[in-house]
Parts: sequence; structure tokens; C-alpha cells
Amino acid sequence: MRRRMEAGMERPIFKPLGTPVAQLDTPALVVDLALVEHNIATLHAFFQQREAKVRPHVTAHRCPALAHKQLATGGTVGGISVITVGEAEVFADHGFDNIFVANEVVTQQKIRRLCALARRASVIVAVDNPANVRDLSAAAEAHGVTLQVVVDMHTRLQGCGVEPGPPAVELARVVHAAPHLEFAGLMSYAGAILATDPAALAAESRQCIQQVLDTRELLERSGLPIRMVSVGNTSNYEIAGAMAGVTEVPAGAYVLLDACYGPYRPQFAPAARIMTTVTSRPEPGTAIADAGQKAVSVDLGLPVASDLDGATVASLSAEHCRLRLEGAADETLRLGDTFWLTPYDIGTCTNLYDYIHAVRDGHLEAVWRVAARGQYR
Amino acid sequence: MEHYRPAPGTPLQDLDTPCLLIDLDAIEHNFRLIADMYRDTVCKMRTHVKNLKSPILAHMQIRAGGTVGGVCAAKVAEAEVMVEGGITDVLIANEVVAHDKIVRLCSLAKRADMKVGIDNARNLRELSKVAQAQGVTLGVLIEVDTSMHRAGIRRVEDGVELAKLAAALPGIAFRGLMSHQTLPGRPDKQTRLIEGRRFMQMCLDLKDAIEGAGIPVDIVSTGETWTYDIAADLPGVTEIQGGTYALMSASYGYMDEFAIAAKILGTIISTPRPGVAIGDVGVQALASPGGVLPSVEGMPGVTVEALHDEHIVLRTDGATPLTVGDQFLLHSGQQDILVNRWDQYIAVRKGVVEAVWDIPARGCHH
Repeated sequence: MRRRMEAGMERPIFKPLGTPVAQLDTPALVVDLALVEHNIATLHAFFQQREAKVRPHVTAHRCPALAHKQLATGGTVGGISVITVGEAEVFADHGFDNIFVANEVVTQQKIRRLCALARRASVIVAVDNPANVRDLSAAAEAHGVTLQVVVDMHTRLQGCGVEPGPPAVELARVVHAAPHLEFAGLMSYAGAILATDPAALAAESRQCIQQVLDTRELLERSGLPIRMVSVGNTSNYEIAGAMAGVTEVPAGAYVLLDACYGPYRPQFAPAARIMTTVTSRPEPGTAIADAGQKAVSVDLGLPVASDLDGATVASLSAEHCRLRLEGAADETLRLGDTFWLTPYDIGTCTNLYDYIHAVRDGHLEAVWRVAARGQYR
Repeated sequence: MEHYRPAPGTPLQDLDTPCLLIDLDAIEHNFRLIADMYRDTVCKMRTHVKNLKSPILAHMQIRAGGTVGGVCAAKVAEAEVMVEGGITDVLIANEVVAHDKIVRLCSLAKRADMKVGIDNARNLRELSKVAQAQGVTLGVLIEVDTSMHRAGIRRVEDGVELAKLAAALPGIAFRGLMSHQTLPGRPDKQTRLIEGRRFMQMCLDLKDAIEGAGIPVDIVSTGETWTYDIAADLPGVTEIQGGTYALMSASYGYMDEFAIAAKILGTIISTPRPGVAIGDVGVQALASPGGVLPSVEGMPGVTVEALHDEHIVLRTDGATPLTVGDQFLLHSGQQDILVNRWDQYIAVRKGVVEAVWDIPARGCHH
């Protein structure tokens, strides 16, 4: 397989499709297609039976090929959600025409880009500030487009968002009155709620979501039509998706999962792993491998050596992983052997790669671009 | 990848954010400092491009002076980018083990003086076999573990044995030794000097032993930003490997003769509650391994409270009011992990864009 190398691109040695996975150049981001398909089928089946639908939050993987698989599975709103305008532009270029930028877009340059995008896709954006609403309205008028706007609410995480109740209603009225904007509804990003006790998970999730639903009710009583309520994520999709009044859940982590979510969401399987090669066995009990912090993000936690009994990830430096080995692993692991790391957080990990190696039954089936990697703007 | 190319002359306040800036006055100061330090010494700088990931910046240090005329890299893919960018002397300060990668390394050796780290006889034999088949000579440096507890030989006897093998194998030129060092925390100067000398002495002891066996050692490549001033007057050390010094990071703040040159420019997008402001840059773009938070430049009373995936939470005590649309500058706690998350450097001088440089070795972890 020949590929054009661009400046600033990952440079693996590309192998022909059909190559056994163990022969891929490392470190490599490898996705197991059977597991991806299981994960997507599991979550989407839930939404196929519901009023509420899933809106794949594609910032979790940044890969248009995966996003197309998600939308093709059903149970969705027919669109995606992203965080930055740059991500929205990349996904629009890959054929997506219903894009929710679940974030505040405030600078003139970005608002202009958003309006340009609205000419070729249905664009939804979040607001938490009336001055921003006026800027969006003026730009939409100048560009001859209509932007759909949701009010972002603060329910749990310290982040963007107006307070639920009257402040949110007041901002919704400002949006509703602004020309060239269409008030679409409400959103709140509460973050992943990691709880093994189902009752605790349900209680904390409902406590966040109910604030949004109460605000919805206030809005409806005051005569403002509302068609979109976006809450929840992979950690609590089944709770969010079952609450009357929730219209969509922007879940993303379920597709690839990671070591952080794994223990809390057993219905999904970790489908993305990093394959790495042992480059040094300096002393008994220690192996050094070629995946460091530039190949497996450790911002939120260390990866797990998932398939190697007796191996523990001791640390990662910029370019190296250090394994502590016991028992059989210590005796058998040799220079040049490959093994697998399951990243702790998949979002920060896909952001390090330009290519996903998609494998099935241990053989390379496709190489996909992580096209929206690095789109921070 | 992103293609953001603000025109030279663009003022900082007109930049779309977040972006990775290089303060040119600061990086030129850092390059000059190294050039002045090593102009007349036997020991020279071999700049580590795992930190810079850009041939342009490597050339800037080489032109400024004080270097061996080449660079070191951590990966074969990085070395490829450097050779394509006109660098002709590259030490891969790391072990290259997989057969495919050795073939790739030997291809580079047809166009540049390539050297690579070794710590294992089987790997050395494989390097020899492929180099011979390709008709090239690979320079090898034995990696010595002095403090990292990572790759590298642990015992002098093992080093001598490996040197003998390297000297005997076809396709291989035994060139010398290399090591990395680490010193956690924020050491004072005395500790730094004592520990630095101790670590480097371990390399020099091995050098003596190998030379005692009749094998010449022409390169002793060791050191880090935090030992750059120690190697200069330690006889036997021929080159120092420095990376962080060029762009600097908050974690090396104790080396305050170097200026912070890498900064992230962000914009406030929300002020949801009194005293709290949300900026448009998060963990994805900033890198905070181990949860180390960045610091804010030039805003008294403003602190970083938290980093989310795509957002930063700033808190102000009121001394610096923060409003939506305001820009802010961050210093990252870590430098090369940060650069690896960006596609372009926006090079600025006194608040105005002077150049935009691609980061062609970003993602080159192969």
C-alpha cells in the first residue's frame, strides 16, 4: 500500500491489507472491527427502541470512517457532535451534514467559519452568554445563513454553561428573539459519571439531567418551543435515554472504549489498543518497549498491558514504556516481541495518531485516517 | 492535519486560538547561550530533535554554533524527517530492534552519517547483517544506564564485551558510548553538579575499560539540559545531548538561564460564574502527563484550576479581570509531549507573527 507522506504526519511503514497484525510497524493504533461493531450495535440497539436517539460524539475518535459506521447503524439523530469548529469542518468535508458544535464559539474568526460551514451543513452551536448570541446573530445575517442554537447549562462539571432555571430561560429568550438564529433547545455536559453501583449512577445522572428537564418545562410553560435536549454520555446513556424529555445523547467513548471506562461499562469491549515492540531487556524483571507518552497519552492515567500475564506497566517516559515482569512473562518476553497496551483514555490517545489500523480476525482490513486529529481550533 | 498560516505581520491579538507559539527572542537567546558555552570547548552540543521535531530549528542551533554539526533523534521516523530536512549527521539515541526499522535505518545510512544506540548482542548482530546486505556502515554507541533504569547496559564487563563484538562485526563501526540521565524534582546547583558528574563518570569508567581492551572510543555522548554546563569541563565527554533547553518548560524552571520559548495562546470563551473563566484549550492540546497543570503568563492573580479535554478552567482573584474574548498565554509543564500534539509553530517576535513552521516530525513515533 502506497500513501502520500505529508508534513507532520505519522510515518509508519505501511503494510498491505491482509498482513497479520503482529507484523505491523509499531507503535500502532489498532482497532478490532468485530469489537467496534459489537460496541456500536449494543448502544444503538438501545436507542432504536426509544424516543431519544444517540448523536455520536465523534471527538472521541476523530475518525470519519468510524463515524460513518455509527450513523449507518441506526438509532441516531442522523448527525454528529464535535467540540471545535475545525473538527466540524473536517467532518463536513467527509460527508456529514448535521453537525452539533457542543461548545461556545466566540471569536469573530471562528464565528465566520461557523457561518461558512452552515452553508453546506445543518449547524447547531451552544451559547452561554447574551453578547455571544448577538455576535452569532449579526454574523449569520451577514452570511445569509441560519444557525441553530442551544443553551448550554452548568449542572455538574466546572465548565461553560449558564445556571439551570430562570437564567437559562432568560438566555433562551434572547436566542429566540435574535434574527437569523433558531432556538433549538438545551444541552448540559456533566462529564463521565463513573460508578459501579447502578443506583448511585442513576441517582447522580438523574440529579444532573432533571435540572435540564425542569428548565425545559419552564421554557414550554412560557410558550417557547423546544425540540432538542442533549444530555448524558457513554457512562449513563441508558439512564439519560430513558428519561422523558431527553431527545438525544451525545455518546462517543462506547465505540473504542478504554481502560478508564472498561470496568464501569462491561457491555462494551475495549476495541482500540496500541501495539508496541520490546526494544530492550536490560535486566531480569524489566522490559523496555517503543511506545512512550508520545504514542500512548498518560494525561489521565497509565495504560494497561492487557494480554501479558505477569506484566505490569511501571511507567512511561516520552519515548519508552517500562514493564515490570514476573514469572513466565519474564522468562519468555524477548527483544522484538510485540505486546498490547490498552490506553487509559482513548480520546487523548487517538489524538496522537494519523492512522487507525483496522483489523479483523488478526489481519489488517483497512487503514483509516484520524482526519480530525489536532483540530483544536 | 491543521493548516493554519497567519501572514507574517499579524499581531498576536488577531490569531485564531489555541495555537503553539515560539517566542523567537527567547529561542535565539537559548541557542546563543549554547553557542557561547561550547564555542571553544572540546565537548559540543548535539541537539535532541525529539523536543523540536523540526529541521529548521535544528539548523538554527547548528548555524548559531557550539554543536557537533548534527542532531540526535529518538526514532527512525524522526531521523528520516531530519535527513530529508538537510541534516547529515544523526544519532538515534535509542535501540532499533524490529527488522523493518533496521532496514529503514540502513537506507538512511546511504544519505547521512547514521549512528544508533545498542545494549544487546543479538540486536548488534542483526544490525550488522542488514547493514552488510545493504552495503552500508552503521555507527553504534553502547547505551549505558546511569540513572534512568531504562535501556542500557548495567555492568562495565558487559559494555566491554559488546564493544569487542561491535569492533569485530562487518557493517558496523564502533564509535563510543551514550547515556541519558534523570534527576527528579528541582535540584539546587550543588546537587545538580554532584549527581551530573557522578552519572557521567560511569560513562567515562566504561570508556577507560574499553580503551584498556585496545578499542578506541571516539564519542562519549551524554547529558541533558540539566547537565549541559557540567560536561563542558569534564575531560572525555565529547558531546552533550540537550533538548528541552531550546523551547524550555516550567518543569526545568530551575535552569533559569534559559528562557521559555514555547507558549500556548488561548482565548476565554465563557465566564460562567464570578471569578471563573473557561479557555479554549484543554488536555488534548496542552499535554499534562501526571496531571501537571500549566501556568499563566503575566496575569497577576490568575491561576489554573482544572484542565478538561478541550477546556481550561481559570480562576481570578480580581487583580486581572477576565472577559470573554480575552487572550491568555500558558507555559506547559512539559515540553516535547506538548510539541508532539501540534502541527505548526507560529513564530512570533514582540507580539507579531514572523513565520509559520510545520512540525514535520510530529507523530513520528515509529
